[in-house]
Amino acid sequence: MIDLRFKQNKELPYGIVVAMVFLSTIGLFVLNSISQHQKGSFLDNPFNKQFIFLIPAFFILLLILFIPRFTIHKYSYPLYFIGIVLVTIPFFGKSHAGTYRWLNIGLPFTLQPSEFAKVFTIIALARYLSDHTLEMRKFNSIVIPVILLMIPTVIVLNQPDLGTAIVMMTPLLPMLYWSGARPYYLFLLFAPTMSILTAFQTLSFTIWALILGVVIFLARPKIFVSVLLFFGNIFLGLLSPFIWNSLTKYQQNRIITFLNPEKDPLGAAYQIIQSKTAIGSGGIFGKGWGEGTQTHLKFLPVQESDFILSVIGEEMGFIMILVVLATIGFLILQIIKRSFLSKDRFSSLALIGIGTIILAHVFVNTAMTVGLIPVKGLPFPFISAGGSFLLSSYLMVGLVLKLSVNYSD
Amino acid sequence: MLKADNIVSARQYYFAIFITISLLLLLLARFFQLQVLDYDKYSKKANTNRIRKVTTSAPRGLILDRNGQILVDNLPTYILNAVPGELSSKKETFDFISQIISVNPEILLSNFKKYYRGKFIPARVAKDLTFDQISRLEESRFNLEGVYYQKFPERYFPSNVRASHILGYVKEVDREIRNSMINPQEYELGDIIGWSGLEKSYENILKGSHGVQFYQVDVYGREVGFVQDFNPINPEPGINIYTTIDVDIQQSLERILDQKRGVVIVGIPETGEILGAVSKPDFRPDLFTGRILNSDWDEIIKNPSKPLLNRFNQGLYPPGSIVKMITQAILLDHPDFDPFITQICDGAYQFGDRLFGCWLTTGHGSTDLSSAITQSCDVYFYKTIHYYDLDKLAYYFRAFGFGSIAGIDIKGEYNGTVPDTEYMNNRYGRFGWSRGSILNFCIGQGELLVTPIQVFNYLNLLVTQGNTHVPHFVKTDNLVSVDRPKITPESWDRITFDMSQVIKNEYGTGKNANPNNPNAKVYGKTGTAENPHGEDHAWFIGWMDYREENYSVVVLLENAGSGGTVAAPIAKKVFNKIINMHKVALK
Repeated sequence: MIDLRFKQNKELPYGIVVAMVFLSTIGLFVLNSISQHQKGSFLDNPFNKQFIFLIPAFFILLLILFIPRFTIHKYSYPLYFIGIVLVTIPFFGKSHAGTYRWLNIGLPFTLQPSEFAKVFTIIALARYLSDHTLEMRKFNSIVIPVILLMIPTVIVLNQPDLGTAIVMMTPLLPMLYWSGARPYYLFLLFAPTMSILTAFQTLSFTIWALILGVVIFLARPKIFVSVLLFFGNIFLGLLSPFIWNSLTKYQQNRIITFLNPEKDPLGAAYQIIQSKTAIGSGGIFGKGWGEGTQTHLKFLPVQESDFILSVIGEEMGFIMILVVLATIGFLILQIIKRSFLSKDRFSSLALIGIGTIILAHVFVNTAMTVGLIPVKGLPFPFISAGGSFLLSSYLMVGLVLKLSVNYSD
Repeated sequence: MLKADNIVSARQYYFAIFITISLLLLLLARFFQLQVLDYDKYSKKANTNRIRKVTTSAPRGLILDRNGQILVDNLPTYILNAVPGELSSKKETFDFISQIISVNPEILLSNFKKYYRGKFIPARVAKDLTFDQISRLEESRFNLEGVYYQKFPERYFPSNVRASHILGYVKEVDREIRNSMINPQEYELGDIIGWSGLEKSYENILKGSHGVQFYQVDVYGREVGFVQDFNPINPEPGINIYTTIDVDIQQSLERILDQKRGVVIVGIPETGEILGAVSKPDFRPDLFTGRILNSDWDEIIKNPSKPLLNRFNQGLYPPGSIVKMITQAILLDHPDFDPFITQICDGAYQFGDRLFGCWLTTGHGSTDLSSAITQSCDVYFYKTIHYYDLDKLAYYFRAFGFGSIAGIDIKGEYNGTVPDTEYMNNRYGRFGWSRGSILNFCIGQGELLVTPIQVFNYLNLLVTQGNTHVPHFVKTDNLVSVDRPKITPESWDRITFDMSQVIKNEYGTGKNANPNNPNAKVYGKTGTAENPHGEDHAWFIGWMDYREENYSVVVLLENAGSGGTVAAPIAKKVFNKIINMHKVALK
């Protein structure tokens, strides 16, 4: 398999472009259906807005193709800092419904800087991990990438935007894995979180303790270290209920609704029920374009972005869902393939990072619409309406196209 | 620059592919579950989600007089409903509504709580809104998420009669009423239900049945159209009822009895149809529609004359001399009795250690049975009590319909009291009363208590010589016969003759009732009933045969004096009214 990499990938991965165009077209198709009952100004119509935004999106994509790869590599860190500045600026402006996600730069629409910051962060991370390859097998070397990632993540988390923050963090493990980190260390990285989360139920905590024990045993570190790791985690888990109980009711509620908005029955639970109803009632072939009752009677919330897949499910049925998931799956697998085939490590890492981000968006959004996870306001790539996210998605595809071609520079 | 080689192994690559495909398959499986396996469940859910079931109230049947004039009509008003689950802010919405229709928001809120049944069931917040108010609300529709209006028919009384005790009133169904019902599902909170009078008796005919409409609604509950798959059930309007009341007669009765306290009933003796019935004082029929002021209501409640009391079926009165024809019938039935043997009336009669007076303290002198009726002599009847005993008297009273309800089509009738031996023993003990009480009963005094409607029935029996039908207010093809008292034809004829003498004879106590019309033959009997609560009750019962048509009239004036001087003139006015109506009709 290694031999594959010596082939010159001079061809652009046209499959990715075809998949992207196909998904965008479906998106426009669905948005046009939704737009039938939209009133208001021209830009209030999600179809019009999406159509308009596709122009700069294509422009950004083409622009990336003309930027030399070494320029991207060279300016990774400055871009990273620009990203951090961008996500910080909204805090100095006015809040939108108590959040600081949006940047108003005098255009008829607002921009969401975190969408761009997450791309810049991946590039910076790829740069760091590709520059520091030799030390990767040590646990210590994980600390700097984590910090690199945590800075923008914590800022975004405070906007507050849990969905984007989660997506921003997801590339960490695959990228560390890609750069050769032992899976054992990656396991230890998120072990404390699991210890805390499982501690609230006896059964889950018991199972987790067993898994923890087995993994530590199989990894065979020094006896002192294993005992420390194991009991450290157990202790943390046992401690967390006490810490939880010492919080005031108000603080507890804040955390609960933050982690699980479904606890608010009129809000998120209602949305999930409506979404599941829309999807389920679509059946295999759907109710037909423009015929979705849940959609057009507006039972379905945020249908043009977060719940656009529910519209597809309702109007075009399981068949179209299958097509959409297959297409986006093909696109992601193509990116992973190009990442594997990439000659240099920077490109490979950036590609796997981008692939992970797209996958995270797909998974979180879809799992939310079908009620597998709590509601997190995340759009579906290429299909959902959304200015900033559309631009950043095309930016990511541009980067993929650029980085997946192996030139000799 | 970019010199670091890619070190990703095939194993890592395949692992990444494995994870990606697994996640996507997991999602796909979930879609398969929702869309293929659970399709039926969600399909049904989607349907109910978008369909709102709205019940539409049926217009209540009208109540008309015998000639088709409308007595009770429906006035279209509007009610405002709020769907609790769709209100974004109760306070803001109610404040907004209250500004537009100028109703206190507190009232809206208390109504809302009163009619609240469930999160997605409309609860009433305001009623009696005009079209104008609704139009203004409609203009601000976008501010009124979750608020809808509905047409609602209210009772309305277009004629110039009150007839309040006949027509009765309706009430709004509240929780308490609904919980006490046998079929609570037939009514919804806020529906109207007949609560007294004809509105109550004919509730099942008048009420009609609810309709159901299925609206397709959006998430804000706005109706965006009808649903084709579900057929609406149209409301079935209530059926109109034609009463036996004649608006003209009823109106003149109300005018004649204005400012008085008592009852007048006019009817057709052969059929038992009631042409007019008044119980005074009465009240405005729209008293219970909620459109009148609280002060008016207080006045009604605090009035010592009890305007809400329906005197013609719930007022209990001693009948006095008007029942003497029953005593007469007993005497005539007795084989040893001779109606032509006279008794001397010197104004009083000693029985045991008690002195029983005649109403004419100077005495009637030598009196036979006929003149005892004509002049209403009491002593004649005292002196003939040895022809019967208490239980026989009670038996005859019952045969003429006293002691049990007449069975009119207005509920709540009282039985009255016909005392017999058992009753007296129960009330006073076996030795607590004497045979002397019979002297009271035979002239309609004492424990004997009757309702005016029983008297009307009794009068009809006298008019028709026992061939009448149960008194009623609503026209029917199925007349119910009244049991015929078993007395001889000779006795009937004698009673009829004597009653004509009451009017015609120069000593007749009822001559004040005579309209003196050559075409009118009038019969009657007066009564002056002593009662422990004050002045005597004045009675007059009688009928007029005018151009071969009989009209029976019962007059009772509470605490007004003697029947001949007070009640008889009232009857005369009634007879004259009927004569005038005939003249108008002939023209």
